[in-house]
Amino acid sequence: MTTSTKEQDLGLSERVNSLVRRARLAAAVFTQYTQEEVDRIVKAMTIAAIEAVEDLAIAAHEETKMGLIEDKVLKNFVASEFHYHQIKDKKTVGIIRHFPEDNMVEIAEPMGVILALSPVTNPTSTVIFKSIAAAKTRNTIIFSPHLMAADSSNKTARILYEAGVSAGAPKGFISWVEKSPRLRRETELMMVHPEVDLIFATGGTQMVKAAYSSGKPALGVGAGNTPVYITSTASPPSAAMDVVISKTFDNGTECPSEQTLIIDSQIADALLAQFKRMNCYICNQEEVEKVAAVVIDPRTNGMNYKLVGQSADTIARAAGIDVPRYTKIILCPLEGDLRYHKLSVEKLMPVLGYVIVDSVDEGINRALDINFAGGTGHTAGIFSEDDSVIERFATAINAGRIIVNSPTSIGGLGGVYNNLNTTLSFGCGTGGGNITTDNVGIKNLLNYKRVPKRTNFTLTFQTTKNIYINPGSLDHLRSLKTKSCFVLTSRSAAKRGHLAQVTERLPADCRVQVFSDIGVEPDWACVQKAIAAMHQSQPDTVIALGGGSVLDAAKIMRLFYDYPELKMQELSVKFLDFRHRMVEFPQKVHTQLVAIPTTSGTGSEVTPFAVQMDNENHRKLSLVDECLLPNIAIIDANLTKSLPKEITVDTAFDALTHALESLVSTFASDYTDGLALESMRLIFEALPETLKAPGNIVWRHKLHNASCLAGMAIGNASVGVNHALAHSVGAIFKVPHGRANGVFLLSTLAYNAKIPRKFMPVSAYQVWIADEKYARAAKFLGLSPAYDHDRNGSPASTGETREAMIRALLRAVYDLALNAGQPLCLAELGISREAFDQALPQLVRTAAGDMSARTNPSLPLIDDITELMIRAYGPRSRP
Amino acid sequence: MTDRAGEYQNKPTELLSMPKRLERGVDSVDRVLAGGSNVTLDFTGCDFVTVDGLEWLEEILLRSESLKTRVTFVNLNPQLYKVFKVAHIDSLQKACGAPGTASGPVC
Repeated sequence: MTTSTKEQDLGLSERVNSLVRRARLAAAVFTQYTQEEVDRIVKAMTIAAIEAVEDLAIAAHEETKMGLIEDKVLKNFVASEFHYHQIKDKKTVGIIRHFPEDNMVEIAEPMGVILALSPVTNPTSTVIFKSIAAAKTRNTIIFSPHLMAADSSNKTARILYEAGVSAGAPKGFISWVEKSPRLRRETELMMVHPEVDLIFATGGTQMVKAAYSSGKPALGVGAGNTPVYITSTASPPSAAMDVVISKTFDNGTECPSEQTLIIDSQIADALLAQFKRMNCYICNQEEVEKVAAVVIDPRTNGMNYKLVGQSADTIARAAGIDVPRYTKIILCPLEGDLRYHKLSVEKLMPVLGYVIVDSVDEGINRALDINFAGGTGHTAGIFSEDDSVIERFATAINAGRIIVNSPTSIGGLGGVYNNLNTTLSFGCGTGGGNITTDNVGIKNLLNYKRVPKRTNFTLTFQTTKNIYINPGSLDHLRSLKTKSCFVLTSRSAAKRGHLAQVTERLPADCRVQVFSDIGVEPDWACVQKAIAAMHQSQPDTVIALGGGSVLDAAKIMRLFYDYPELKMQELSVKFLDFRHRMVEFPQKVHTQLVAIPTTSGTGSEVTPFAVQMDNENHRKLSLVDECLLPNIAIIDANLTKSLPKEITVDTAFDALTHALESLVSTFASDYTDGLALESMRLIFEALPETLKAPGNIVWRHKLHNASCLAGMAIGNASVGVNHALAHSVGAIFKVPHGRANGVFLLSTLAYNAKIPRKFMPVSAYQVWIADEKYARAAKFLGLSPAYDHDRNGSPASTGETREAMIRALLRAVYDLALNAGQPLCLAELGISREAFDQALPQLVRTAAGDMSARTNPSLPLIDDITELMIRAYGPRSRP
Repeated sequence: MTDRAGEYQNKPTELLSMPKRLERGVDSVDRVLAGGSNVTLDFTGCDFVTVDGLEWLEEILLRSESLKTRVTFVNLNPQLYKVFKVAHIDSLQKACGAPGTASGPVC
């Protein structure tokens, strides 16, 4: 009776489904096993394999007629005993690794159903190795053997399966495709079966390619072509013996085995003499041609598979050359251009090419010729006592394993001559078309689940070390430790007499130089000019006297004076997270910086920030680092007594913005909250009084302190979206910073008080509480829902609700601005609608890129920024 | 679908507990099912299932289909529920109350 191909395919399909289903159910059941259960199974399987090493080696040899039984026994031992020794204590179930410093653990997850292709060259050892590896990782495995080795492969699989099941493994955890003429077709069907999770392909290039083409995740191997460089420092007898051990191992069937030797001329004669002594045969050129004629298949220019794993005597006979009985290796001198020599390819048999070289460079280059003749990513070897040569060789060669002073075949297997992971499957990386260069093993048969716990970074509080805070504290300058002082200030400070007040207080023996050319918003040219003057003067102390611009400029000047090699462009590179930023600032500054603010706004005297105008790009550059902090701050309100009303109000609103933004910042802490709250309380109290009595030192003092407290708050908690908007408007329309801040304040308060459209992703900011904090601020300011009345006094809402308190805060800010004459919209700044509309895209782009918004409690989307800009243009009504 | 639901509703439902290790078929379940009742299998005390156990579960689901009765699984611990998930057997998923067809590969 005959059956059609279609019928045969149907039958095949059923067989495939049945095999895969068994494996799938076993994989599901295997997920329940503990480490102890798994280890018990693996132990039982290994013992069963060890008991069968000889039988299986004989079976493999009888079936494939390749290699040597004795070496196959050794390979079976490596795949069982050595493999077990390496993996027995490895964790493969549950948490397998802890990373305490990263607050993370790794948990193993089996891959599932593995389709394993096994080769003709190592049928039993590969099956032993893969079965044990699969069990250790709680995977199930279906073997698809090479047709020429199916009986021995499947016999091996059965022995390991039965041992595993006896020890408690799930039924069906190992299975195999029975030998049949349709084995290949069956394998093809399994390769694309939806229930197969991984293909683990060890074998010929075609088989590995098919696995990769299946669309499944695949672990494959690449072809080898191992160059071995025997350098002048190698010991000829030892190197020759290792090569003989390696190249004759299983008659050369191991793919990491030596294919071409590159021999330094200094030791060539001695080495070849050793080979001869060890019964290797060195061909003449005529014989090389004869060997090549039988070893290389002219149709493919690759090795002749009929001679794979055959003895040297058999190959010599086939080539028609006479060699002594029991010749170990046929050595062929490869003359001419190595890259074109027929024998420069992989030959899995005891035929070995060699070339003689005159230098290390030539040696490495010839090794590269072999390495890149079909063996990239696989294996290379070197015999040398010179570590620098070994390193040069290893750096140049593209191989997953570069075996030093030992046989490459057994060395590549791992565990015998070195501590490489034991394997029968050699990953070749991208050079060999693989995903890994590993000695593939259990590590590659697991899915790794990383479980990182939230990492909260350490919050710190830093500020200027010495702060002198009462009116008249300028007198501290009299005891300042300095021999050479450089005063940085503005012309207005000189006019207002501040400069004289400073210089007359400096110690008599102190050399003083003044630079008073710092304008309203100094740019890089101004900074450079001042630094040049400083280099001439060589001060040990810099005194910054002025408003925020002067203080910021002085911080930058001091830094570049101490470290001229720094680059502004690099220091001002933006960052998403302070801890991960790419820029490194100096750890220490040497020149003392004394900051004496003459306005009550920026708080720059206590912040690690410095903002500088970038006129070319109409933007402000921000520098942030602890090294920018002044050493001394003198908060002497006497210097603010003559401050004009407009500047008093602008700067007070700057300080108020600092307080309000730092309060709700994602970096806010109990430390900064206290400072922010007290700062805003002082401003609400002192600004109206200062405006009524500008010369009253008590209120000026309160305002000056408020600015400093808010500076400490932003110095640690930073600011928010209001500053991003203000920086943008300030840079493009040259609006003073405090005033620019003021026009956005009502909008950003309302914006931040609402549940964000997008939360700001910051690890340390675990709960969004901006609304609660604004309400708390209102309460702290003594506002009550009663303040949430309209101007006629009728209640707008009842009860002390959060919303009512927030509205009370908004109204308080509005009323403060109105009473102080602070503009609350962009139109009031004299910006025409036309100019605003025209600049809007750039305003939005600049604000969106400003780092200030990174600590805002909500992540401002570009749409949000656009809306905040537009809303800030028109006149405002009382909230 | 509605008709089938009606068929189930007219039959009594028996709640049966699964053993600690489900390694083979449970006779009492087979008997109740043969008697034409719906069955609810309570996995509260069950913390391990073997391949034979899985195959038996699949088999009784097939049987209940032909008997026009309903078998449902309740109180599975996550380890056991994961076994059913990894097994990719559609009928097991349905018995746990999952929608009709699994989205991933199915045996």
